Amino acid sequence: MLEATPHASARRDVARLLLGREDVGPALAQTLRRLDTLWPEAEVELWAGGVLSLLHANAGARCLHAFARATEALAGRRDAAALVRDAAGAAEVARRGGSQAGRAALDALPAAALKLPTSAERAKWWAGLARLAREAPDCLAPVCERASALLGHGEGAAFESFVAAGLKASGGDREKRRAFFTLQDPAARALLERAAGAVAFQDVERRLKLFGRALWGTAPRLAALQGAGVSAAPQRASIVGDLVRLPAVYRGVTGARAEPLYRAALAHAQAHQAFSRRQRAEKLKPLQIALVGLVEDARVEALALQRHPGLKALWAPWHMAQPGDAMTAAFLMARLARALFDPDYQDDDGFVGKGRRLFAEASGRLDDPTAARAIGGLLGHDLGQMRLRFDPKIYVPEPLYRDDNLGLWTFDDEPDQQADEIEQAVDAARLTPQEADEGREGDDPPKPDAGRAREAPADDRGVAIATYPEWDRAAGVERPDWTTVRLVAAGLGDARALEEKLDRLGGFRDRIARLVRGARVGKAARLKRQPEGFDLDLDAAVDAAIAMRTGDLPDDRIHRASGRRARDVATVVLVDVSESTRDRAGAGTVLDIEKLAVAALGHAMETAGDVFAVRAFASCGRDEVRLKEVKNFDGRLDAAAMARLAGLEPGLSTRLGAALRHVGAELEDVRSHRKLVIALTDGEPSDIDVTDPLDLVEDARRAALSLRRRGVDVFGVTLGPHAATDVFRRANTMPARRLDDLPARLSELYFRLARL
Amino acid sequence: MAATPASGRLSAHEIHDEPFYRPVGDEIDIFAAAYASRLPVMLKGPTGCGKTRFVEHMAWRLKRPLVTVAAHEDLTAADLAGRFLLAPEGTIWHDGPLTMAVREGAICYLDEIVEARQDTTVVIHPLTDARRALPLEKKGELVPAHPDFQLTISYNPGYQSAVKDLKESTKQRFVAIEFDYPEAGIEAEIVAREAGVPADLAGTLVDVGLRSRNLRGHGLAEGASTRMLIHAAVLARGGASLEAAVRSAILLPITDERDVREALGAAIAAGLPAATRPR
Repeated sequence: MLEATPHASARRDVARLLLGREDVGPALAQTLRRLDTLWPEAEVELWAGGVLSLLHANAGARCLHAFARATEALAGRRDAAALVRDAAGAAEVARRGGSQAGRAALDALPAAALKLPTSAERAKWWAGLARLAREAPDCLAPVCERASALLGHGEGAAFESFVAAGLKASGGDREKRRAFFTLQDPAARALLERAAGAVAFQDVERRLKLFGRALWGTAPRLAALQGAGVSAAPQRASIVGDLVRLPAVYRGVTGARAEPLYRAALAHAQAHQAFSRRQRAEKLKPLQIALVGLVEDARVEALALQRHPGLKALWAPWHMAQPGDAMTAAFLMARLARALFDPDYQDDDGFVGKGRRLFAEASGRLDDPTAARAIGGLLGHDLGQMRLRFDPKIYVPEPLYRDDNLGLWTFDDEPDQQADEIEQAVDAARLTPQEADEGREGDDPPKPDAGRAREAPADDRGVAIATYPEWDRAAGVERPDWTTVRLVAAGLGDARALEEKLDRLGGFRDRIARLVRGARVGKAARLKRQPEGFDLDLDAAVDAAIAMRTGDLPDDRIHRASGRRARDVATVVLVDVSESTRDRAGAGTVLDIEKLAVAALGHAMETAGDVFAVRAFASCGRDEVRLKEVKNFDGRLDAAAMARLAGLEPGLSTRLGAALRHVGAELEDVRSHRKLVIALTDGEPSDIDVTDPLDLVEDARRAALSLRRRGVDVFGVTLGPHAATDVFRRANTMPARRLDDLPARLSELYFRLARL
Repeated sequence: MAATPASGRLSAHEIHDEPFYRPVGDEIDIFAAAYASRLPVMLKGPTGCGKTRFVEHMAWRLKRPLVTVAAHEDLTAADLAGRFLLAPEGTIWHDGPLTMAVREGAICYLDEIVEARQDTTVVIHPLTDARRALPLEKKGELVPAHPDFQLTISYNPGYQSAVKDLKESTKQRFVAIEFDYPEAGIEAEIVAREAGVPADLAGTLVDVGLRSRNLRGHGLAEGASTRMLIHAAVLARGGASLEAAVRSAILLPITDERDVREALGAAIAAGLPAATRPR
């Protein structure tokens, strides 16, 4: 755009082409007059180039009006170059989505500029809007209207990925898309909270729990406070009984600062739990309640610091209030909070000084839980006399790490609310997906079949039994609760035909059985008196030598070797039954091969006494990952199970990651030395709502990795030509083109298993 | 093999200098009383809390040689009792450490007995009841215990898994003395004394230990032992900063799990006095 502007003539062109027009001429002329008083000539010239770029994009009069308005709103910044880029971005939006879209975007520009002050950040906002204009023009207006809610400070890239996620999540469904971009979809709100780069509560939850336990000796009960990030009020932790609810994300606190903030918040909450006692509000005024809370915060922190002096370094960075901030009650209280916390902080204000003095006088009886009330009451009275503005509705304790202090009070008029709140909070905590509370103390991991469903009623899509996160490759974050696994009843097929087919394969069945039986999956042990080994078995060697000398026949088993004790392995066989398994492979379909393989494996494991389950999966979008239970861990591979196996039909897509996570969660509950997932699949994961198959490959790979980290060995037996080596790592991928390959692949698998 | 005088074979096992041991309760009296009647003793407690040191101290106090056997999963009955070896002129019998202690009147200390295979532990049964004798099956000999012989085992119940548990028939033969990390004041005294550091530093380290022991069973199999704290103190005395010493002697060895390490590191930092932290 800039290059196309002829030297020093853009303004002339604007005058020539536009100022004469009835519709936009007067408005532009007025803006130009305004700019002339504020900007040097060269800047105005630059800006005129921006107007021309809109004109050349056929953006229409409404856009030009909107640009003029936005310019006047932002003129004070004297950044013509940024406005020119905004004009170019709007021109692009208008070109793709029409002049209505361009105008909506320009109308949102002042609000966006507040959150994204630099031109580079705004370029990402424009890129997101341009994409939206191209792919979902109907959603552009709602997104522009919500600019200030959607944009975090300096988070242009987050907006771009928000748009990408919304388009992806809706998978072309207009209704879903609209719900997402109008923020009616809770997923959209959750997404906003944890924009890219943000550290979410669930990322740090486990470490926080350990931190809290190490510090105070008791495990804190934690839950995420959802929704705090999008609401207008600043987010604060909240204590309900023994439950500490922390914001799902501290918006605007990113990267390395986020986890210390969570720690600071937890340490503060635990200080309350250790030293605070709930009290009745009775006749205290809101301002007094706030100040009693403030003094109580200082009191419990002082007590905590006596025990853990290093907490000071954790809390101090967040105390940033200082003299010179505006004189409002809130700022003055923030200063008081700092003064009570930090003895080195200088503040000459009389009110702050009085607070300090009163607190210092009480320093001898800090462990008296009522100390704060007297001081806070006095200070509240003083502050009230100062006639500073105080709005209890928007007041939150400062600094950021402190909690809302509601847990300190019982209010006489709402006796049941607290109880309800606790119940709600506990329910909320219970709904965390299995992966999130895997391996943690506290509640038992929910049983996959215990009906933790959000959408309980069974419809034709099956009963929702669990939700799992999914990796978003483009944004580089894990989207929580992204996929829903639904249990679908397995249809029955002809078990006898399957058995007959298996028998017709002759030695196949026996070879598999031998392999499984011979698998060295037990615990390692030293074996004595072995025919060969790495070391002499002294006793056996001496016996043999004695036998030789006495003329007896010596036993030549004189070595020690390492071997395996009794096998102790739990296996899930995961069968891909997506549409592509209908493909021909040899004499039958891929699914036929899978069924035979599973039948042979199943019989072998049953004979060997292994614990195993068989699951079949297919998916239809992220809300519908269908799972069929062919055989459960505690069931037998009897005629009914064989009928369920025979009854599997191909259809739908392959969301492998979700299926892996689910069977991984099921294995959590099984006690055994080795845990094994054997996934039989025909190739790359894919699904209807995902355009880039690499996304699901990457997600499945991460799912497999996370299982491995939890001690589950994951193997992929890939049937058919497209081997998904990326998912299971090359070494754990067993490509089997034909059924005959299977025994060889399985022997590799068990060989690897023995060595792992 | 010709019998050698006790002092000869066991001289290496005699303890001449008093091993430092800070009694926490009545353990010295109980052990002494048990020894007076030659009752077998079981020392229960987590790793690094002073069990081995206690036995050494008692051996010194009772003026008996101490034969220590660290049990491992391959330890066989023959490794304890003895075996025939081949010599040019034929086979000779070689006493194992247990037999040596039985013959010559030492305190035999089987460290971490649960690590040994369960069949191994049965060997000690005849020694721990009224028979007080060690049958050497292969040799066809019954070795009566020397009047001064006594058996002590240590046992870390922290493992608490079915495989690593003592047989009921073994357990019930012993008088047990329970050990745990001593209370903060005493532990600080021990750390200060063992590492030669000032009391306040020792106190700080003991506080660090408490942080980690809070995670016992929740991320950590065991909290930091007194031994670990002493190591940290030694590093600090040697010139390492307190943070570096804690990191090298406690944080890094105690767990390989990153989450636990980070959380524990943060909790430990929260407990350290502000002045010692680098700004």
